[in-house]
Amino acid sequence: MPKKEPVIFFIGWNACINCGACVAVCPQKAGFISPFDTIAVNTPCDIACMVCEDICPVSTITHEPAPKPA
Amino acid sequence: MSTSQYDIVVIGSGPAGATTARVAAEQGLRALLVDKRQELGAPVQCSGAVSRHALEEVGIQPADEFIHEAIYGFGIYDQDGSETIIDYRQLKPDEYGQGANKKPLGYVVDRRRFDRCLMTMAERAGVEVWLKTEGLGYVVNSSGSCTVQLRHFNKEISVEAKVLVGADGLQSQVGKWAGLHTHIKLTELASCLQFVVDQVETDGLLEIITGHEWAPGGYAWVFPKGYGYAEIGLGVIRTMTKENAQWHLDQFIQHSFFKTRFKNSRILEIQGGGVPLAAPLRTQYSDNLILVGDAARHVNPITGGGIHTALSGGRIAGQFLAKLIREGVAPTKENLAGYQEQWLEELGNKMWQLYKEKCQIFKTKNLKRRDAMLYQTMSSYFSPHSEYKKI
Ligand SMILES: Cc1cc2nc3c(=O)[nH]c(=O)nc-3n(C[C@H](O)[C@H](O)[C@H](O)COP(=O)(O)OP(=O)(O)OC[C@H]3O[C@@H](n4cnc5c(N)ncnc54)[C@H](O)[C@@H]3O)c2cc1C
Ligand code: SF4
Repeated sequence: MPKKEPVIFFIGWNACINCGACVAVCPQKAGFISPFDTIAVNTPCDIACMVCEDICPVSTITHEPAPKPA
Repeated sequence: MSTSQYDIVVIGSGPAGATTARVAAEQGLRALLVDKRQELGAPVQCSGAVSRHALEEVGIQPADEFIHEAIYGFGIYDQDGSETIIDYRQLKPDEYGQGANKKPLGYVVDRRRFDRCLMTMAERAGVEVWLKTEGLGYVVNSSGSCTVQLRHFNKEISVEAKVLVGADGLQSQVGKWAGLHTHIKLTELASCLQFVVDQVETDGLLEIITGHEWAPGGYAWVFPKGYGYAEIGLGVIRTMTKENAQWHLDQFIQHSFFKTRFKNSRILEIQGGGVPLAAPLRTQYSDNLILVGDAARHVNPITGGGIHTALSGGRIAGQFLAKLIREGVAPTKENLAGYQEQWLEELGNKMWQLYKEKCQIFKTKNLKRRDAMLYQTMSSYFSPHSEYKKI
């Protein structure tokens, strides 16, 4: 399987209910967390499994490809 | 930098952490309990149902401070609304009810007040408690202790402890620090959403609604919440449905056999979270470290209930650590394995059995049959004759 392209996650904060489910299901190493107890929002994720988007009860997580290093 | 020394440092002051710290302090240990929140239990990620037995078992007096409403039994429904009512006011009228010398079966608690009360109990037992204190990491020292890195109001602090207790809930990072296999699969984590509502009548029962149509992979619930309020919620397994929990909750409220009952409901609060319908962690300890509560996945895999198991797990952990440290036993991985053995014996082996039952149900391909199995299991689980009724 080709390696997935890294992504950056965005959280629609208006809908987020701070439930922590995205962090609970995330297979990343320790510390992939935002100051608001969601998955990290400004760090590229190289696993890109997207289970955080699936678990979110209000579907408020989206992603874009991470900018390529210059 | 500070070099304060503790017997144990507990990260997370939920039911598991506060109980571990309190029990350990009651038995003479020097304990530090930290939580990153400014107000425990908030934002609420729990419905708050807990049995009276679970509280009494760990020395918590049921108190108005945290009780929303008393519970006397269960109503279990299948997808179409057929019901099994297990009302202890009728089954054992001399024991359960509101009158003098009678008692409730359990309570719906306010997690904000409940967690605060448990923290206070720990404090009064001699535990040092710091809020706004985030656990950042830990290292094992050659001297046999460990150093725990914390951030307290933006200040980095290191403390030394014989044992670090990870009671940091389902989002646990402490287990990851130690390289334990804490990852939970999407197929085993229910995505939950609940509304606290006005204008929905309840009658002292925890109501559980099964059926793939309403909550694929999980179930829906209606709990009394005091002051005439109720809680309506559900959890779904996202690999079993294309839609999210919010969509399913709207469907349940608008189209289920309860739609007339819910017709005038008004939303007062919105809450959610993940509930593991999974097995306990296979390894809940490492050098100078143990996990307890949701962090160790001490959650009932059929009901998703985790308050009772967090409290009991906390008691077991606190007692185990007090004995280990009093006797001067080195807190190595090998010696801390005894904690998990003790836990399995008292609680965990039954949770493994429940997990196997749960798997049996959800691997059934035929939906009708699966729904019938879940309804049947839930109904017998809460019956007075259930062998699991104390979990
Ligand atoms: C929607 C929903 C409904 C539920 N309903 C019920 C129910 O009705 N009955 C029931 O029995 N169970 C219920 N549960 C499960 C129950 O809420 C949990 O099992 C229980 O809270 C576990 O307790 P705990 O002490 O292990 O963890 P938690 O209560 O999650 O406490 C963990 C604590 O650790 C703190 N923390 C986390 N990371 C750090 C860090 N790095 N540094 C410092 N502090 C940290 C957190 O702030 C938190 O206070 C429900 C769960 C959900 C999601
Ligand atoms: S799962 Fe969704 S709602 Fe819950 S904390 Fe993460 S982003 Fe917010």
